[in-house]
Amino acid sequence: MKKRNLLKSMIAAGVLSAMSFGAQAELNGSVNYIIPFGPGGESDISARLQQPFFKEKFGEDLVVSYQPGGGGAVGWASLNGLSDDGQTIMGVNLPHIIIKPAQKDVGFTTDGINTFYMFHYTPDAIVVTADSPYQTLDDLIADAKANPAQVTLSGSGKASANHLAQIKFDKMAGIQTTYVPFKGTGAAVTALLGKQVKAEWGYSTVGAKQGDAVRMLAVAMEERHPLFPDVPTFKELGFDMVGGAYRGIALPESASAETTQMWSDMIGQINADEGFRQQMLDGGFAMLDVDAAGMDEFMAARTEEYLADAREAGLIE
Amino acid sequence: MDAGSFLSALTPLNIAFALFGVAAGTVIGSIPGLTATMAVAVLVPITFSMEPASALILLGAIYTGAIYGGAYAAILLNTPGTPSAIATTFDGYPMAKRGEGDLAVALACFASVFGGLVGALALLFLAPPLSSVALAFGPVEYFWLAIFGLSLIASLSSGNLLKGLAGGAFGLILSTVGVAEISADIRLTFGSQTMIGGFGVVGALIGLYCIPVLIDLVAVPDRHLDVKEGVKSVRIGEAARLAFKSKFNLLRSSVIGTLVGILPGAGGSVAGLVAYSEAKRTARDDQKFGEGEPDGIIATEAANNATVGGGFIPTLVLGIPGTPPDAVILGALLVQGVRTGPALFQSGGGSIAYTFIYGLIIATVLMLPVGLLIGRYAYKSIVTIPKAVLVPAVGFMTIIGTFAIRNSVSDVIIMILLGVFGWIVGRFGFAASPIVLGLILGPIAEQGFVQTWIIGSATNNLAGMFFGRPISQAIVAFTLLSLIYPLFAARRKSAQLNEHS
Amino acid sequence: MSTDTPVGADRQGQTGSLLVAGFFVLAGAITLYDTTRYTDVDSMVFPRAAATLLIICSMLSLVSTWLRPSAEPGFGQGSWWRRLLLVASMLGACLLMPVIGFLGAGCVAFVGGLIAAMHLRWSAATAFRFGGSGLIIMVGFYALFRYALHVPLP
Repeated sequence: MKKRNLLKSMIAAGVLSAMSFGAQAELNGSVNYIIPFGPGGESDISARLQQPFFKEKFGEDLVVSYQPGGGGAVGWASLNGLSDDGQTIMGVNLPHIIIKPAQKDVGFTTDGINTFYMFHYTPDAIVVTADSPYQTLDDLIADAKANPAQVTLSGSGKASANHLAQIKFDKMAGIQTTYVPFKGTGAAVTALLGKQVKAEWGYSTVGAKQGDAVRMLAVAMEERHPLFPDVPTFKELGFDMVGGAYRGIALPESASAETTQMWSDMIGQINADEGFRQQMLDGGFAMLDVDAAGMDEFMAARTEEYLADAREAGLIE
Repeated sequence: MDAGSFLSALTPLNIAFALFGVAAGTVIGSIPGLTATMAVAVLVPITFSMEPASALILLGAIYTGAIYGGAYAAILLNTPGTPSAIATTFDGYPMAKRGEGDLAVALACFASVFGGLVGALALLFLAPPLSSVALAFGPVEYFWLAIFGLSLIASLSSGNLLKGLAGGAFGLILSTVGVAEISADIRLTFGSQTMIGGFGVVGALIGLYCIPVLIDLVAVPDRHLDVKEGVKSVRIGEAARLAFKSKFNLLRSSVIGTLVGILPGAGGSVAGLVAYSEAKRTARDDQKFGEGEPDGIIATEAANNATVGGGFIPTLVLGIPGTPPDAVILGALLVQGVRTGPALFQSGGGSIAYTFIYGLIIATVLMLPVGLLIGRYAYKSIVTIPKAVLVPAVGFMTIIGTFAIRNSVSDVIIMILLGVFGWIVGRFGFAASPIVLGLILGPIAEQGFVQTWIIGSATNNLAGMFFGRPISQAIVAFTLLSLIYPLFAARRKSAQLNEHS
Repeated sequence: MSTDTPVGADRQGQTGSLLVAGFFVLAGAITLYDTTRYTDVDSMVFPRAAATLLIICSMLSLVSTWLRPSAEPGFGQGSWWRRLLLVASMLGACLLMPVIGFLGAGCVAFVGGLIAAMHLRWSAATAFRFGGSGLIIMVGFYALFRYALHVPLP
């Protein structure tokens, strides 16, 4: 599988260099962009932000549609049966496409998904309400040490990025907290704002969206997010946590190397647009540029990392 | 609430958008399978090149029109066009069957407009304070709300309580099929990948409500709906009188709809069911809910359109979408560069929000003429179309509508098989509605229960979590009331009968 | 509905009620069995509670139907071939859809439904009229979904 992808990208590179001779894939009318979740989540918002830039740069409509079900599994299981002419693309999410097939038979495999670009990630973050007694991460750790399991944190789903982050951080800090799963980030934030839980395992996007209503204690980035210069990284505080939920776009596996390369280039161009980058950063996202050529290496590293975390957490065998 | 926002909502262009949106939404909502979410999602790209306020007015108008349009199919075909219209079928279809479909459609229109206005006015005047309702509802409140909704099964299946409860429990089980939302298992798929996504609510509604009607229709040569002789097809005056007579019901249902709309985890279907349940509980003796009682339609339709305005309250104030269409609109707002939050409602910077709210009110008012006109046309065409064409046309609609939800043929097959199953069990007293209630309320109940349990055991306060909070105590009290009241009423009735004899 | 109840319908209603209740008991038992292989406690609680409720209610319903025969209508009168043709043509359309495309499959379902629902006498004129209006409806909906709503119909 990986060999084939490599072969594809080699062919693509060859084709690209011989572009003046023709034989390049091109768009033919509007594109169906399937989000395998309901509307309102991070996947939806980032797709909506891409929409106007796509139209502006390439002159075709990018039609976003939702196919929720099975935490994304329904969409990804159907991906390779869709038309491979480049008019249909689908959003993909990490760690979902790595953890889910490792847990159970969900109708797709990680290798079977032809991801051609990873365009952003939402760094993990611990979020509390503005009036929370936790001023710093240390406050939370101290409370959790004094009252084991009594510190409740909401998060989106189980065996998800939020859940993995909670398990990982508990281990690093030597504490025991209670994770309360909700259906999606929106519900997890609502529970936080309503004080049903003491904190939330969310993303930096929550801080951007909720503004003054919340405070982030730490974000899992290499360096501080430009939108939140006052929020420390976990690394600064002595916890080696960098990551979150990564989002990309995939084509059906049978798509030609030219089509894959064309799409990788197009999304790369949108990602390079200053206006787009600014909108994404304002939304609390962190940019990422992994194109089709670098995908195998990126996925291999992430797969190893996530599977190790999940195995340690007892989520998979 | 500046006059400037009102005037800018009144530009001819915005009014044209509102008119177009309501009309398009009504038509889309009346087709089973096409939901408000889908209609709004498709139109979002068009709005990128528009003024933010105009774009919002267009999207809001489509949304509110679609919620109303769902009533047509519910009344005339016993199939909720959108999940919000489930409870409309309870009395709407019996009314249509006995030849009062036109009256039912007109009633639904009046109730929808009234409910829509109440919701929009709440959004206009009370949005920031009311948004706290969304936060006051925690997992345990959602759990009890779902139980309250399920208690409607008891009154829906009078005389056959056991069968109703069994159906409800079966619906709860159906709701767990597939990948679990907040736990890490795949349930009841028996290894099949087709079932991984579970039973979609919209597809299940089409199957359980529409297919049995079609199967019954083809079996006998009788007409689909009775037509009363000598009655003109417009019964607007009569509908207006009936709606005015039920003004308390209208108001109560609209308030319920607004409040439930504010809750991000509930939505139009729950609002309609709660309002229906309350209307039934407070009914007079001579009212026959479930057999074509106008108050049943009024309650549901007022409540589900009130959720439109109610749902925008947390969307605009907290940035937390109240319903799925709100989530799509929120995304469109973000692309437009509009930041939601309480600041949106302070004068000055808030003109976009207020222009939109006035636009929503205008759209709701326009729904009266537009809705009555389209409703009349829908009624006439369903009544006059020969059965031999009606049945296959509706059958085709169910196929294309179910397919469109997830672009999946297996969803269509599941829909048809579920319909056949529903028809068979319905013939032996296990009605479809309890199953549907279980299917819709199951996830709300399960998630609320699991979250409450986790929080309660973490803080060593399980009993306090489940029974100690004031809002949940109130909901429990209402649940008990609506369970006990029918027994009490029945006893009083029999006592009266004894006295007479 | 009660006026045209054929002789023996009571019996059918009785047997059918028992069978459906029995089916629900079975469904509850299968659910309970399925929950034994879940790895996460949070996944088990709810289906177990629902299945237990289902089994209890269905058992009670079974017993009460046994003791006091129910007055369910049963399948009633009406033509079986029409019902079967309707369902079969709709299911057939789904199975054929990947092969002959959406419109072709729609025609299969439509013609099946039309024949099943046709209680008038066939004539060339009605066949033409009904078939024609069916074609218009289908093409109209197909265009609406395909081009206005961007649904990728096969």
